[in-house]
Amino acid sequence: MPKTKTVCRIVLFFVVVMFLTGCWDRGELEDKSYVIGLGLDLSKQEGKIKVTMLLANPEVGSLQGGGGSTEKAREIISFDANDFIAAKATANSVISRSISYELLRIFVVSEEFARDPNFTTTFFEVLKDKEIRLNSYLAISKEKAAEYFLKNKPRMETRPHKYFQFMVDHGIENGLIPDSTLFRYFQSAERETDLFLAMYTTAKRLDNPRIQREDEYMAGELNATGELDDTQFIGSAVFKKGIMISKLTGQETRTVNILDDTTNIKDILVNLPDPFADDDKKQIAARIMKTKGNKIKMKLKGVRPQIYITIPLQLEIMSNPSKANYALEKNRQKLRKHIADHIEKMNEDLLKKSQTKLKGVPYPLPLYAKKYFSTIQEYKKFNWAKSYLRADIHVKAEIEIVDYGKETNRPIKVGH
Amino acid sequence: MKQQPGKLGIREFVAIAVLMVGAKATEDTPAILFSKVQNAAWMIPILSAVFFFIPLYLLIKTMSLYQGKDLFSVIKKLLGKYIGFIVCLVIFVISSFAVSFDTRTYTNIIRAFYFTTTPNLIIYTMLMLTCAYGAKKGLQHVGSVSYLIVFYSLVSLYIALGISTQKSNIHAMFPLWGPGYAELIKHSSMKLTIFAEFFILTMLIPYVKSNKVFRKGTWIAYVYICIQISAATLLFICMFDESLGGIAYPFHIAIRFISLGEYIPNVEIIFFIIWIITAFIRFSAFLYINALMFGRLFKIKDFEYLIPSLTTIYLMIGIIPESPMDVTLMLKPLIQNMAGPLFAFISIILWLVALVKGEFKHAKNKNSM
Repeated sequence: MPKTKTVCRIVLFFVVVMFLTGCWDRGELEDKSYVIGLGLDLSKQEGKIKVTMLLANPEVGSLQGGGGSTEKAREIISFDANDFIAAKATANSVISRSISYELLRIFVVSEEFARDPNFTTTFFEVLKDKEIRLNSYLAISKEKAAEYFLKNKPRMETRPHKYFQFMVDHGIENGLIPDSTLFRYFQSAERETDLFLAMYTTAKRLDNPRIQREDEYMAGELNATGELDDTQFIGSAVFKKGIMISKLTGQETRTVNILDDTTNIKDILVNLPDPFADDDKKQIAARIMKTKGNKIKMKLKGVRPQIYITIPLQLEIMSNPSKANYALEKNRQKLRKHIADHIEKMNEDLLKKSQTKLKGVPYPLPLYAKKYFSTIQEYKKFNWAKSYLRADIHVKAEIEIVDYGKETNRPIKVGH
Repeated sequence: MKQQPGKLGIREFVAIAVLMVGAKATEDTPAILFSKVQNAAWMIPILSAVFFFIPLYLLIKTMSLYQGKDLFSVIKKLLGKYIGFIVCLVIFVISSFAVSFDTRTYTNIIRAFYFTTTPNLIIYTMLMLTCAYGAKKGLQHVGSVSYLIVFYSLVSLYIALGISTQKSNIHAMFPLWGPGYAELIKHSSMKLTIFAEFFILTMLIPYVKSNKVFRKGTWIAYVYICIQISAATLLFICMFDESLGGIAYPFHIAIRFISLGEYIPNVEIIFFIIWIITAFIRFSAFLYINALMFGRLFKIKDFEYLIPSLTTIYLMIGIIPESPMDVTLMLKPLIQNMAGPLFAFISIILWLVALVKGEFKHAKNKNSM
């Protein structure tokens, strides 16, 4: 008898397994089309938006070592819709598979639409959708988002989700674009005291871009030639209360990223003016590493609030165009002082710009002010958004140079 | 092969208590607290714990007079047959509605995040079926399963919270006192319900090895849960900042947001499985206790047979509210604002009656003799 009982139980177990698929929420890979990028534009018709979907084919690239299917890796469709949630159904009149936002990685919104006052009403729908994750990115494209996706043809990464993931991750590590997840967007829009930065991108290169220092570009201004893809991610769009108001260059974005402790910049390669050069043209290459958080002190009681920011940075000097002898302590000190001055000036310029031009701080600085108040009412009365504009901000850079490069053994005297 | 009905040891009892009350950190409680007192929400669990400590202490003291008796027998003994019956009935009804709306909350969470197209009723039925099955198995089974999974449940919670700290900023917890002391005190006295389960858990005394085990277990679980809910709420505040106001279930948003590195970006399903097992155990214990109450109330000896029918009734009550919003914003606050203070009040009354009746003196005399 026990034997029959055991067999019965095992059979029952297998029967139960069949129910696991369920009736309603079963999904089949073959049947799904995942939207990786979603483009949003203003439509020609008022009150509507133009939705562009970049769909990935899950079958491509999933097989190891060739033998994969010959289907295309992506599909792009654009159409006019009321919102991007019901648009999933509309898209099904063109796309054969069922459409899912589960793996949505990036929202691309055209600059024109992001500056529109109605943008927030459309975009806050994101919070209502059950599939969209808050760790997807928000990017602003210079041209229409529909054109952006069409022109963007990555050569090395045919699978679109990997392309955007790598492009964005490395951009953030280099500090040239901000870490603009939807999560941060909503946080900042909800707080209303600080500005939000979204990455700026374009797939259209300017015809005759000026050559500038390595990080002073905006998207599209970098004059790269060769056999490559035209898409560029650099710089940022500034949002106030959820609507775009301005732009920052790559260098300014980088400065903000150094100031902002909540982003993950890894190490940044930069050019700094060489203190030992005879003319201003020479630049030294350096790697900036941020291993410790900033120290922020505020005195908020007076008429003009005082804000003191100390930025600890580690530097690695990587080139020495004027052949200075770093074995001498005097030279090292000069270099350190020079770099500190340079970085302080850069930061103060940016913060000055944020006070006068942007009218708000482009990273969550108000959070650090909160601890100087004991209740919410006091903090509200202080009114950060207004008080910030008349604040005195003092930036101090604590530079520690950890490495002076390899060539210390044959120093050539500086010519003076 | 019939097993001797064993009793709960301290491990099992603490595990049940931790799963039953600690799970509150992973549903809508942190968001509800935040909507009331904003960034000082993390203080509410601690303050409520301090407030609820007195009634709970008095209750346990009163209960210790009657070794091995459960709450309902003590109430009947102290308050008399008729008043006692009414008080017990009120406790049972409140606890029944609490179970209904809590299970409905869980159904809402599952539907909102994981099974988006499955009808509510199906998810709800599955949840209740599983819990009823668990409860029908008896308290010993619930206890040992709790002890088995409490470790995984807590570890997964810690991992989820730990990864979330990378994306959070401690400065969001300031201004320290939130909306001010008065508001804080007011809301923490209203949120005593966070710990109301401890009141209901006294029903289990006859099934716990000894009174000492019960007392010790209760305090261990009490302190631990107070810290856990407070820490989780603090973390959600630091992570979401002011946007927590617009989020109903912060734990689930958080596990959807976090990722284990570049190659395993979407990990919520791992946490979901452990979370749902915890939920099963939580409601199995709840259903069992409610059936026990019903049995004691109407003198039904084999109350375990009541579990399926009670479950069906709870399911039917729980399905009445049309939308998740009704549950979170209207019905649950109604029960929550009532249950905690009422249970605290009953505890104090019980102690007073025992004091007036001179039960404590009797006990002392008995001990000294």
